[in-house]
Amino acid sequence: MNQNGFAVRMVEVSKNYLMGKVEVQALRSITLDVPTKKFNVIIGPSGSGKTTLLNLIGCIDAPSSGSMEICGSDMAMLSDDESSDFRARNIGFIFQNFNLMPVLSAYENVEYPLLLTRTSGKERKERVLQMIEAVGLGGHKHHRPNELSGGQRQRVAIARALVKGPQLVLADEPTANLDSKTGQGIIDLMREMQVKNHTTFIFSSHDKQIMDHADNVFAIRDGELVNDNKGGLS
Amino acid sequence: MNRLILFGLIASLSFAWTGPLHAEEPATAEEIIAASDAVRNPDKPFSLKTTLIEYRSGKESDRMVLIVYSKEEKSGGQYRTLVRFIEPSRDENKLMLKTGNILWFFDPASKASVRISPQQRLMGQASNGDVVTVNFHKDYKGTIEGVETITDAEKNSRNCYRVNMIAANDSVTYHRIEYWVEKESYQPVKGKFYSESERLLKTAYYRNYQEQLGKRRPTDTIIIDGVDSKLVTKMSFSDYNYRDIPEEWFQKEYLPRFKGN
Amino acid sequence: MKTLSIAFRNIFRNARRSIMTVLAIAVSAISILLFGGFVSAIIYGLETGIVQGTGHLQIYQKGFFDYGSGNPAAYGISHYEDVIKYITEDPQLNQLVEIATPVLRIYGIAGNFAADTSKTFFGLGMVPSERDKMRNWNDYNLKENRRPELGLFDSDTEGGVVGYGMARMLQLCDALHLENCTDKAPDTAASSAPAGEDFSSLIALDAEEQSKAPEDKRPKLDLLAATVSGAPNVLTLFVNKAENRGIKEVDDSFVAMHLSFAQRLLYGKGEKKVSGIVLQLKHTKDIPVVEKRLAEIFSARNLNFEVKDFKQLSPMYGQTISMFISIFTFLALIMGVIVLFTIVNTMSMCVMERVNEIGTVRALGVRRSGVLRLFLTEGCLMGVLGATFGSLIAVVAALLINTSGMTWTPPNYVQPVFLTIRVFVNPAFLPVTWLVLILLAVMSSFIPARKAARMMIVDALRHV
Repeated sequence: MNQNGFAVRMVEVSKNYLMGKVEVQALRSITLDVPTKKFNVIIGPSGSGKTTLLNLIGCIDAPSSGSMEICGSDMAMLSDDESSDFRARNIGFIFQNFNLMPVLSAYENVEYPLLLTRTSGKERKERVLQMIEAVGLGGHKHHRPNELSGGQRQRVAIARALVKGPQLVLADEPTANLDSKTGQGIIDLMREMQVKNHTTFIFSSHDKQIMDHADNVFAIRDGELVNDNKGGLS
Repeated sequence: MNRLILFGLIASLSFAWTGPLHAEEPATAEEIIAASDAVRNPDKPFSLKTTLIEYRSGKESDRMVLIVYSKEEKSGGQYRTLVRFIEPSRDENKLMLKTGNILWFFDPASKASVRISPQQRLMGQASNGDVVTVNFHKDYKGTIEGVETITDAEKNSRNCYRVNMIAANDSVTYHRIEYWVEKESYQPVKGKFYSESERLLKTAYYRNYQEQLGKRRPTDTIIIDGVDSKLVTKMSFSDYNYRDIPEEWFQKEYLPRFKGN
Repeated sequence: MKTLSIAFRNIFRNARRSIMTVLAIAVSAISILLFGGFVSAIIYGLETGIVQGTGHLQIYQKGFFDYGSGNPAAYGISHYEDVIKYITEDPQLNQLVEIATPVLRIYGIAGNFAADTSKTFFGLGMVPSERDKMRNWNDYNLKENRRPELGLFDSDTEGGVVGYGMARMLQLCDALHLENCTDKAPDTAASSAPAGEDFSSLIALDAEEQSKAPEDKRPKLDLLAATVSGAPNVLTLFVNKAENRGIKEVDDSFVAMHLSFAQRLLYGKGEKKVSGIVLQLKHTKDIPVVEKRLAEIFSARNLNFEVKDFKQLSPMYGQTISMFISIFTFLALIMGVIVLFTIVNTMSMCVMERVNEIGTVRALGVRRSGVLRLFLTEGCLMGVLGATFGSLIAVVAALLINTSGMTWTPPNYVQPVFLTIRVFVNPAFLPVTWLVLILLAVMSSFIPARKAARMMIVDALRHV
């Protein structure tokens, strides 16, 4: 674990990618430290690079230049398999479109990450049930995603993200596909979970209201960090 | 071709010359056989015409006319016979050559010479050739079994020696021949030809004796098939002639060049 | 186990497509198993029939196989009883050889002269009890393949069996009570030729003693053949029965007789030889070992023999088998290609439809190999379902066909035989087919699965 209390340390990280024949610079020389056990928000308009930044932090993409340390591990040193394993152990994801497995029930979806970490059957059952109760879906655990509402699905996603007790949970615009009331409920739940589980949360949004709930807010525009919030910058 | 094959054979091989005649009264089987051979066969190279008629169940079923040229081998051993087909016209000028036990057939239309195997000579006229054949004296060992009176083919009674002839070597056709030779004249009257399994294969009657080439000889031979009971063959000989026959006529290679006369 | 459960559920996400794919595999399995079973039945049935009738190996004088049919007598084996003893008393061959029996080929003319007919015949002289014993060979446990009894007996030295066609041509239909066969009425048309001389009195003079076997009611044939020295010989054969020999040319000239009869006919009172010695082994696979040992024995005793196996003696066997195996292989390849294309297509569509899901599970921490495994499992599962389903249907179909009484006529055969499909006679056939189809399904899934595994996570997640 990170001794300095930072979940993420990025130094001069840039990310370019090719769109057709044109090279696009998604992130320009980002230097950023994200403290642990906090509710962090990355905020910026669409196209600003939030998703790209989150992808890099989530170890599902690699920077074109610069160095990144996630939960104390230098990502450049990891092979593809190693980074998969790293993610399995340490990072939870919550997606804008929920991204649940349609063939699995709510219970099984939540259980899925534990299968990847080879958790024993008994412990799996305990954790899953606990998490499902925690997100308030005890009565729906055997329902398939297509039998759940948007809000319920996202709850399942949250439970899935947290069930293995990861150090870091990333959520890319988690409320984008929910109505404002449901969305608020989700934010509240995430906050609650974060506090209870002492997990570092980083999520992105372009909703300014969310800023109020965050411990730290990071603004990004056109691939660069913008200095206009409370704390968090190195 | 089978029919041909030895309508020809029949007539062909028939004649062999046996050697000097004995004037005095022969007492041994060998002398009887030799004398009867001499009755049938002229003593020098010769040719004659054979008319062959085949009867089935009493009705004529086939007819052929052949010219036969016959000559003994220099060493006095095997007889060679060359047969030329005259009638019917579709078979005209086909040839057959027999030397010893080996038989060749030649067709001028295809210019092909074919050797005939023993299996092909089992049936039909092919098998008759060896009845009228050569040298009983040379190829058989005889014992006189007695003297008896039998009826010949002209319904006359004849007083005959009955001689039992057993094959003396492996190359003859008939394992055993029962032979009736008239006592004073040594004219063969009748013969019965048996296989190794003691089945009667043929019965032959010699008749129509006429003066030909210095002796009274049988100009007709009637052959009754022992296995195919409906089959009877009559062979009539005519136009006896002594003649010089070139050796090369008896070579298979010469067959395509044979012009004959 | 979860992988299996997930794979299973994934397959039925698009039930119709998956069922089509499974059915395609099943149809492949059914075609391969049924046709392969048909070919198996032919191969093993043909082999069994041949081995029952003519054994595994035949020993001849050198040159007989190539030249002997023109002149069988020239290639006779002398002291054949000793040769047989060398074989049966050899400790190694003793274990492998079931029967060693001599055979004599002979040909000539068979005549039913009472009915004015005759025909060339190709005959075999054999030892009846040993040949009957040969007909018990059934290494593959085929139920319906036993040939009927030969119809010859060791004690019946003058009895014989003729081919069906032969019997018909020699006017033995009525005498032998044959079906589908009637004797021609004798030709009573008066010939137009002159009656010629009447020889009947001459013939009567010598009316052969009436055949002295009125007690023997069996129809008679006169067999004429040339002895080894070329002289004509004839014996009377009493016909016990007619047997259909399958191939028309054989059926029309076949005569089977006691070995001693054939020897009397061919050798007379001379040394009795045989044209060959027939060996039937316990198992076909022992042919090479036996051939090797025979070569040793023969060279040690300076015997100039050649040994041919049944495939060399019946080229038609080898050719028939090759033809069917070629067709089978061709069919199997086509089926394989169909399975390949079907699965590649199906799995590619699966992958395309689940790009987003692939990205998700990769983000969650599934390795590339895990994604690969997932899709391979789905392909494998469809293979298992298809192959198993197809195998079951094939087994049931084979059972139905075998009991249906349908018939077909093999090439060169005169009579049809029952249509049989044997899926189990070669015990490896069904399991191997099943396994190969599954492997094929897995291999076919490989490329789409690899594509899925290699996807960039972020691109996959971007996909809707």
